[in-house]
Amino acid sequence: MRSPKSAFRWLVSKEWRELVASRSWWVLLVAMGPLVGVSFISAVRTYGEASGLNGTSAGVGEAFSPLIGIWAPTFSACELAAAFLLPFVAIRLVSGDRQSGALKLELQHPMPAFARVGAKALVLAAGWLIAFAAPLAAILLWKSYGGSIYPPELATVAMGHVLNAGLTIALAAAMASLTEHPSTAAILTLSVTVGTWIVNFIAAVNGGVWERAAGYTPTAMVAEFQHGLVRLDVTLVALTLIAAGLTFAAVWMRLGMTVRRRAYESIAVGALAAAAIFACAFVTASWDTSESRSNSFSEPDEDALRQIRLPLRIEAHLAPEDPRRFDLEHRAIVKLRRVMPKVQVDYVSATSIGLFEQTSAHYGELWYDLGGKKVMSRSTTADGVLETIYSLAGIAPPIEKDDVFRGHPLAVPPKGAATVFYGIWPAAIVAGLFFVRRRRV
Amino acid sequence: MPSRFDVLRVTTFTKRYGNLTALSDVSFSIRQGEVLGLIGPNGSGKTTLFECLGGVLPADGGALLRGDRPLTSGERVASVFYLPDSIVPWPTEPVRWALDFTIGFFGGRSEIRGEVVQRLGLEPLLDSPIWTLSKGQRKRALLAIGLLMPQPVLMADEPFEGLDLRQTREVALALRAFAAAGRTMVLSIHQISDAARVCDRFVLLSGGRACGEGTLEELSALAGPRGAASSNLEDIFLALT
Repeated sequence: MRSPKSAFRWLVSKEWRELVASRSWWVLLVAMGPLVGVSFISAVRTYGEASGLNGTSAGVGEAFSPLIGIWAPTFSACELAAAFLLPFVAIRLVSGDRQSGALKLELQHPMPAFARVGAKALVLAAGWLIAFAAPLAAILLWKSYGGSIYPPELATVAMGHVLNAGLTIALAAAMASLTEHPSTAAILTLSVTVGTWIVNFIAAVNGGVWERAAGYTPTAMVAEFQHGLVRLDVTLVALTLIAAGLTFAAVWMRLGMTVRRRAYESIAVGALAAAAIFACAFVTASWDTSESRSNSFSEPDEDALRQIRLPLRIEAHLAPEDPRRFDLEHRAIVKLRRVMPKVQVDYVSATSIGLFEQTSAHYGELWYDLGGKKVMSRSTTADGVLETIYSLAGIAPPIEKDDVFRGHPLAVPPKGAATVFYGIWPAAIVAGLFFVRRRRV
Repeated sequence: MPSRFDVLRVTTFTKRYGNLTALSDVSFSIRQGEVLGLIGPNGSGKTTLFECLGGVLPADGGALLRGDRPLTSGERVASVFYLPDSIVPWPTEPVRWALDFTIGFFGGRSEIRGEVVQRLGLEPLLDSPIWTLSKGQRKRALLAIGLLMPQPVLMADEPFEGLDLRQTREVALALRAFAAAGRTMVLSIHQISDAARVCDRFVLLSGGRACGEGTLEELSALAGPRGAASSNLEDIFLALT
């Protein structure tokens, strides 16, 4: 037998050839151009219209952040492709060996099953990165328009979509390995994806544990990365789920093992993954990579908040679907948690929408408890929350610096984008397909 | 006790699918350099036995022994290669690539590549994608893959399936030539006439049970008391199963 390294290289080469031979990957590539194009063109138009009205000001600076105005919508096309196209590419690559009978030959090589799945995952990741050429073209076009690019936030958005693709690949590989037929694997994969959407929906209605669980779904993860926020716990949970999915695929790929043994091993993998995810939930490190610091309070506020050592508990009498709760959570609490790890927020409500609780005397109240000192407020804005905390802590509000992010307005039409994404891109992919096919024959 | 010429001994292999027993305590020996035919009608358990021995299907019982010692999983992988029937591995790849992959990935026998291609008449097919091959051409390509594998024992499931008479004879000659060079072959065959042409010894399988093992003469002697003391393998098979 050859050295494992040599065999692995052969396997990666074989998987790559399988990927290039699969129609599903070429369909993904062709579709990526128009998908990214329609999002990018629409985003640039909207951004341009907003920029051309009254220039910019500190108050609406965030609206002229390319991260929110351009990159979040443009890269959302990748989320669509990852949910509805990438699973079929992954299932084709994993199930193909089983369908053709090649797996029965390859399983007779002593290579560990995880290495086999790893080779497939590597190639699929490479295939996905090639599809990333479409958003890369959008970045180049934006640059050619004179648009501003802030690499850290752009890298964060891309990282979120790479992790999301990793989750899709791991899930699809697990399902393809578990089931006999690719169509069953596709149904199961899409069911899990839809299941995570249902979790998000239930979280929005019920809050509580569901809300916490929903924070780790691919949709929520991508949303955070799209806002330039890198949370270590979310990243670690995503990596754990990817590793668990690929291990699950490796377990079920070993056809020579009894179903009972594979089931026990799957349970063990699930238990280990659950323990790792539970541990990850205690990790609090995060980084705001957005140029506008949209996930952070101002630096003077952060310095002031860091001086507060006492644990802070907030009891918010707001229903899950109350817009004030959304404001409170996304404009204040998310930022607060990043500088004050000892913040505990408890939401109290009897209904999901809160409409019929308005008559209740306590509905809408926010009770702050800082080291035993309590105060009530009804403000859900970031400034209101900060003001209450400063007064509780006996700290004078810091003086704001005059370095507020003022945005990068750009009033230009998406010139040439339609030609690139609807014409050149599909033509280049089709030409690439013919070139590759000719070389193989 | 296994005889000193035995290289491997298959003992009490059993496989059940729910209430159906596909294999029941199947035992036989595989001798070095021989062409052993596993003979039985469709549904007799030949493929199931091969898949269990090849490690691609879990068995409910049984062991593969060298001497008196069961082979470990790693030793089995290094000793035995199972070549399934009716598969189209790497369908979009040309035959040339499949042979290169066999040598590169599996550590196959590069030194006999040319001889294998020539004996199986694969030269004109080397650049054809596997899915475009006819059934007989695909079978020859599969056999080439099997012959290039590094394991000393090759278990081929229905090696003559899809071949015409001329091709069957050519393939039989090729298999015998490689066996003469020291390769051990275990061939699962349901056409008894094909088996008689190529095999040194036979294991008769019926209803998941091994009904006899030996050379034609040994099986003939075994069948004698049952009124079939003939040198015709078909008569012997019918008498013993």
